[in-house]
Amino acid sequence: MSDQLDELTLIDRPEKSRPLGVLFWVCVGWVGLNIVGAISANFLPLPDPLYQNYSAINVGPGLHHLLGTDDLGRDIFSRLVFGSRVSLAVGVGAMLIGFGLGAPLGMLAAYRRGRFDGIFTTFMYVLLAFPAIIATIAVLSFWTPRALVKIIVVIGLASVPLVYRVIRTATMGIATKDYVVAARIQGATDTRILLKELLPNVAPIGVSFLLIGIATVITLEGALAFLGLSVNPPTPSWGNMINESRTVLAQNPWLVIFPSLAMCLFLLCLNFIGDRLRSHFDVTEVKL
Amino acid sequence: MARYLTRRVVMLVGIVFVISVGAFYLIHLLPGDPAVVILGTGDSPQNRAILFKELGLNKPIWDQYFIWMRNVVHGNLGTSFISQTSVAGTIRAALPIDLELIVLSQILAFATAIPAAMRSARKPDGPLDRVLGATSFTLLSIPPFIIIVLLVLLVAIKLQIPHTGPSSYVSLTSDWLGNLESLALPAFTLAIASFVVYYRVLRSDLIATLQEEFITLARSKGLSSRRIMWRHAFRPSSVALLGTAGVNIGGLLASGFVVQYLLAIPGLGYTLIAAIAQSDYLLVQGIVLVVSVGVIVINFLFDFIINLVDPRISRE
Amino acid sequence: MSERLLEVRDLATTFATAGGPLPAVGGVSFDLDQNETLGIVGESGSGKTVLSRTIMGLQPRTNVTVSGSARLNGFEVVGASEEAKRSIWGTEVAMVFQDPMTSLNPVMRIGKQIDEVLRVRLGMDKVAAKARAIELLELVGIPSPVERYRAYPGQLSGGMRQRVVIATALACSPKLLMADEPTTGLDVTIQAQILNLLDRLKSQMQMSVILVTHDLGVVATRTSRIIVMYAGRIVETGSTRDVFQHHRMPYTRALLESSPKVANRSHTRLQAIPGRPPNLMKLTAGCAFAPRCAYATERCHRERPELTVTESPGHAYACWNPLPTTRGVS
Repeated sequence: MSDQLDELTLIDRPEKSRPLGVLFWVCVGWVGLNIVGAISANFLPLPDPLYQNYSAINVGPGLHHLLGTDDLGRDIFSRLVFGSRVSLAVGVGAMLIGFGLGAPLGMLAAYRRGRFDGIFTTFMYVLLAFPAIIATIAVLSFWTPRALVKIIVVIGLASVPLVYRVIRTATMGIATKDYVVAARIQGATDTRILLKELLPNVAPIGVSFLLIGIATVITLEGALAFLGLSVNPPTPSWGNMINESRTVLAQNPWLVIFPSLAMCLFLLCLNFIGDRLRSHFDVTEVKL
Repeated sequence: MARYLTRRVVMLVGIVFVISVGAFYLIHLLPGDPAVVILGTGDSPQNRAILFKELGLNKPIWDQYFIWMRNVVHGNLGTSFISQTSVAGTIRAALPIDLELIVLSQILAFATAIPAAMRSARKPDGPLDRVLGATSFTLLSIPPFIIIVLLVLLVAIKLQIPHTGPSSYVSLTSDWLGNLESLALPAFTLAIASFVVYYRVLRSDLIATLQEEFITLARSKGLSSRRIMWRHAFRPSSVALLGTAGVNIGGLLASGFVVQYLLAIPGLGYTLIAAIAQSDYLLVQGIVLVVSVGVIVINFLFDFIINLVDPRISRE
Repeated sequence: MSERLLEVRDLATTFATAGGPLPAVGGVSFDLDQNETLGIVGESGSGKTVLSRTIMGLQPRTNVTVSGSARLNGFEVVGASEEAKRSIWGTEVAMVFQDPMTSLNPVMRIGKQIDEVLRVRLGMDKVAAKARAIELLELVGIPSPVERYRAYPGQLSGGMRQRVVIATALACSPKLLMADEPTTGLDVTIQAQILNLLDRLKSQMQMSVILVTHDLGVVATRTSRIIVMYAGRIVETGSTRDVFQHHRMPYTRALLESSPKVANRSHTRLQAIPGRPPNLMKLTAGCAFAPRCAYATERCHRERPELTVTESPGHAYACWNPLPTTRGVS
């Protein structure tokens, strides 16, 4: 086979990365729309998501209520838009904590190696072995009363070891490349190498992992909300809405279908963008 | 092999120690007097006296830990002052349901993911591979709690299949067929989540392995494609699959919590959420401890199996 | 007169790549008799490995087109289904691969890898297969074969591994053994041992052998005939003696001058062949070697030379400006 490969490598082919494609931009648009909606929810002409209209309970989709109402007569569409805030806040907030702590440590460990790397990596791998989801449930159930900030902090901290591992692996691949070694020999300062040589190369991997990480965190928050361990009702969140729909599944299936659809579409788009970016930058698959 | 195992065992013991400290300390995360919190509605002078004696609450925190640890080692996780039952007993009653659920879902997941990955890997980028790839990518974005709710909506409510809806759990000892029916949707839900991961991991490893020279050699021996796939390609490709499966167990338990919660299946997950709702913290602590240690041990077992499957690993 | 085992006519293999068709082998014809040893020589990228695999029908399953004909003991390999080819693999023709590190399954005990062939192809039972496998290990010179039967490839040295690969290839007593750079991955001291082993087995088991190599030193004393390949085509062929002593094609000479010879004094300077092997996707109508050839004329760039026979039987070369004949001079 090697002879065959020799022949194939003789072809002078310019390295072309895969085009992003239309679907990619559709996904970007959808995610953008969700973000804009979540930020400007207060200014949009939406009914109050908490207002209970007892004369319109379990109404199906229609003109008055775009996606219908729930069992307390609240507008589902409005609750979906306001509910996306919780998912986004937890997703982005937790990943900010995770990346804020995990990424610099991971880069530094991969660049420095030696004892610093040894201690941190062992420590992080011990934490990684710990079932994070169960730890999150445990801490959140004991750390009462529940609040959005606590959820963000707990999930954020739980994600640090994972971020650390991904960033460290990615940086190691680059830190051993010739141009980094050359910069080092030429006496560039550590800060300069980290910021100018390593960061720009690790960033693409980081961004695609960040998007997939946000999707994972949103899923986790949804599961917590479904178990009644996230923000307290009546605050709307996608997970809360699915949880509340449990008791009226037979009477009003729309109540579960719409938030499920909203959540799955958003997650699908995030995963797709992350996946496409990764193959676009031709990054070898990093295990999540 | 022996050195590798020793290192893993040392690590295992270390992690279990960290978990035990964490689980122990959970009680102290609660604001206020731990005694008040643990006793909850069962707060009375007599109970308070028992609790102080049992947990050594007036002693320094390290002594408390060792008292607690000694009890745990003897299988005593305390007695819930809310339900007046032994925590260990409650866990023992609930645990088999989780195990059954996991075993069922894993059989389903492996039985579908392995052939699917093999078909895909045989013709990468072929029509079947593309369909499976798109399907698995979409399924990857549907959280288990949504899958189970939608399945219940369809199967239990629309199709009215018995034993599949909420609160219709049938125990294995009373009616095994009914038991299987009542666990069908949960097992299927967990299987989907596992299938997606296993399929993707095994597919990419199989594709890499099938490019190897030893596969060409196997072909040149005149072996059938089927034999080459199963005997030659599968085993060296299954290392990442097994590793993923080991890690997946933790997530599987958490997804198990969700389905049990929805369908009121009295496994550990349902018991845990109920205990949280009733502020039965000793029970929560016990379940967290057992589940965490269980996950770590299962992880360790998978590591061990990987070593048997691929002798290259322990030789580094 | 010995019987013909293999007839190759106008065999061509083209890969479909992202950048267009890649003609790895372009129109090769030759014959091989029973009990004959043929050397196929060329630089890496000359198409010799692809040729040997195409003759076996072992090319990748997708993105490849094969034309022409390769008849092995009456069986037409080109166009045959994988199922049909399976019936000749192992029993009619077997292969020894270049790199014993990668050609044995790392997670299978070596005994099992030999056993398997015996059981699947010859229908032996477990006990008989094991006994035969141990015999084969002994035959290829593996010490304490009973213990080694249970070893994993990782526990053996490179030379030992190559012996295992050879034992696997011999399991069904094939009529043709295709050895693709069988010694390239090995230490120099081991190389001779493996080649001698192949020689011994060839006469012991009445096989024909095709020895594919980039190293003329390997084929010098062990083959009766040699094919020199360049850019997927035969540029010179003939008896080993003719190719070494009376070659007419400048490329053959360049190849000879670039490989160390025992006859030379130990500090003789080796001549590197100038330039790079050609890009097979940008082949011109002319001789593929012309851009690197000191004797190239305008015609060489324009028109490809066909094989021209010489007065010596079986000796042919493809060149417009052949080197002067040395026959009768020495």
